[in-house]
Amino acid sequence: MPDPAKTPAVQLSNIRKSYGEHEVLHGVSLTANEGDVISILGSSGSGKSTLLRCINMLEVPNAGSVSIHGEAITLDQKPGQPPRARDMRQVNRLRAKAAMVFQSFNLWSHLTILENLIEAPVYVLKRDRKEAIAEAEALLARVGIAEKRHAYPAHLSGGQQQRAAIARALAMHPSVMLFDEPTSALDPELVGEVLKVMRDLAAEGRTMLIVTHEMGFARDVSTRTVFLHNGVIEEEGAPAEVFENPRSDRFRQFISRDH
Amino acid sequence: MDYLQLMGFGPNGWGYGMLAATGMTVAVALCGYLIGSVLGSLGAAAAFSRFMPLRAIAGFYTTVLRGIPDLLVIYLFYFGSSSVISAVGALFGAEGFVGAPAFLTGAMAIGVVSGAYQMQVFRGAVLALPKGEIEAARAYGMPSFLLFRRIILPQAARFAIPGMGNVWQLVLKESALISVIGLVEIMRQSQIGAGSTRQPFSFYLTAGALYLLITFVSGRGFRLAERRAMRGVRRAA
Amino acid sequence: MVIDFPFLWESFTTLLNGVPLTLQLTALSVVTGAVLAVLLALMRVSNRWWLDLPAQAYIFVFRGTPLLVQIYIIYYGLSQFPELRHSILWPFLRQAYWCAALALALNTAAYSAEIIRGGLLSVPAGQIEAARATGMSGFLLMRRIIFPQALRQMLPGYSNEIILMVKSTALASTVTLMEVTGIAAKLISQSYRPIEVFICAGAIYLAINFIVVRAFAALEYALSPERRPAPASTADQPEKARA
Ligand SMILES: Nc1ncnc2c1ncn2[C@@H]1O[C@H](COP(=O)(O)OP(=O)(O)OP(=O)(O)O)[C@@H](O)[C@H]1O
Ligand SMILES: [Mg+2]
Repeated sequence: MPDPAKTPAVQLSNIRKSYGEHEVLHGVSLTANEGDVISILGSSGSGKSTLLRCINMLEVPNAGSVSIHGEAITLDQKPGQPPRARDMRQVNRLRAKAAMVFQSFNLWSHLTILENLIEAPVYVLKRDRKEAIAEAEALLARVGIAEKRHAYPAHLSGGQQQRAAIARALAMHPSVMLFDEPTSALDPELVGEVLKVMRDLAAEGRTMLIVTHEMGFARDVSTRTVFLHNGVIEEEGAPAEVFENPRSDRFRQFISRDH
Repeated sequence: MDYLQLMGFGPNGWGYGMLAATGMTVAVALCGYLIGSVLGSLGAAAAFSRFMPLRAIAGFYTTVLRGIPDLLVIYLFYFGSSSVISAVGALFGAEGFVGAPAFLTGAMAIGVVSGAYQMQVFRGAVLALPKGEIEAARAYGMPSFLLFRRIILPQAARFAIPGMGNVWQLVLKESALISVIGLVEIMRQSQIGAGSTRQPFSFYLTAGALYLLITFVSGRGFRLAERRAMRGVRRAA
Repeated sequence: MVIDFPFLWESFTTLLNGVPLTLQLTALSVVTGAVLAVLLALMRVSNRWWLDLPAQAYIFVFRGTPLLVQIYIIYYGLSQFPELRHSILWPFLRQAYWCAALALALNTAAYSAEIIRGGLLSVPAGQIEAARATGMSGFLLMRRIIFPQALRQMLPGYSNEIILMVKSTALASTVTLMEVTGIAAKLISQSYRPIEVFICAGAIYLAINFIVVRAFAALEYALSPERRPAPASTADQPEKARA
């Protein structure tokens, strides 16, 4: 039995991913320990989303392995065949632990905000409905949209939808949270309210992997920064170090460009 | 005899007959519609299948049945099943032509035709599903059946309602054609009435009014269902 | 089941005799129906309630009742009125052919009117404003800006409507006309071989509809130059170089 404190929350080793002939990730390894807040930076098309989606098997890597809390996902990676996860039950169990927040919120539009929050806890985790509702209401209060609980997603602003989506992720009691550009679809004046919620989560010591273009946020909040370029990690380290003394020229260019 | 007496419920009135015929129209249309729903969902499932022959069969089905007259399909079903029944009857010594039950063959014919249209409706509804929301459900660990039941079905249902309403109207009107094989629904009853009273206009006008009433009421019903189902969907401005 | 090819061929050639009538009925009703439909559509978009309302009522009634009822009312129903039987219209209304064509035309007019209206409404308000700003109005605006765009917009729907009309002509057989379905019904009741006859008749309808679909696709292509890849023209090369 490995020591839970030492077991990494997420461990990616040598991940390769191709779409058709085109290889997007060329062997990426990344470890997130308990309490890490890792910001993943990189220009458009560098493979950030793909990497994040390999963690919960929304994309199945062609090669390499993914472990969540020491449990390796069993993959069929035969050359010439599309890769697939062997045991979807295992994948679903691990997915429930690694809650994802999407750029476009992806709240279920036929359900109210409250129903969105209890959907997966009740039906996937089989939690008691009453408890799930009580907890969901507390979470909505926490992200500041308690009064919207009976509204449908379409009737909320983008910032409110994204806060609801974060609450939906929290309702899963996730041990890791995956954010894919959570503020990129928001109007500038709404970005702050979402970042504030994320800052609070980081301060709680939650394990988070965040793909973002918000340099300031990456610098202040994350414990580690990863810079992805053309499907390989070009720079990695504590934000204070890498932002002050970038080793890679590309990362230097990237942070000096317009940030 | 004036119109009100003619269509009234008195001893010489045709009111009860027309009312019963209206019930028959609704019944046969409903049965055909339900058969169509089953065929339509099977067809749509086949159209999304990974298995090429299944896709080809589904495509063939919907193309052919939407391309030929419904009346022809009704004749096929009626005479087709009648000849089977007659052949079976001949084995047991019966002679000549034995007609198939009009309700059953009519409902089947309508079902097969409306299934081709419903298949298109279901296909469109599934294609209209927001991909991100399905992805979110997968990302939260929903197994496929749960995902289908909780996310895909309710969403597809609401996208399908307007189209389903159209098909229902189509089926109602199509059901009039079953009169040609002798089922006593609105049209057949009107023919009988027109023949025995020599007042065809009165009867066919009444028939038209009855259809209008049914299409109007059920149109309202579908609109209501659509409004309910579309809660939470932003209206296109 | 063994397929009897001589019988199949015989049925096919017999059924082909019904094709001219099917096509005639379709063409006649589509053309007259279209004229009426344009009128109805213009009434619908007129913004005058006393034009809009009658058009709405017409469309509601003809779309809400089966075509068979409409055919029967015209063919059988009208004979109930002695006045009509003695009018100059009677030589037409006595004949199944004209009755069927009339019913089909009135019917398709209701459906086509909504398609045309949809097309007219699809033209972006901004473009109409822009045309007004250059001083266009009334018929000129309609002819030069609205109609060409509306036409293209409604082609797919209209192509569908014509296919429905081809299929609807089958109902003419219920008032004794021997078009393809009428002949098919007769063949079936003579031979008790529904499947073979059905295959032949079905193939004929599918072939007609296939031609309709192709023709409309070609028309749509011809009318949509802006959706085709731009032709390589040397005239705008310097433009690009400057940009
Ligand atoms: N489903 C797919 N099929 C084919 N190619 C894909 C697919 N998803 C991503 N790609 C390609 O993979 C590459 C990496 O995509 P990815 O979405 O991971 O980039 P990203 O770093 O997240 O970019 P962005 O900042 O724009 O979101 C891109 O070149 C993209 O075109
Ligand atoms: Mg991305």
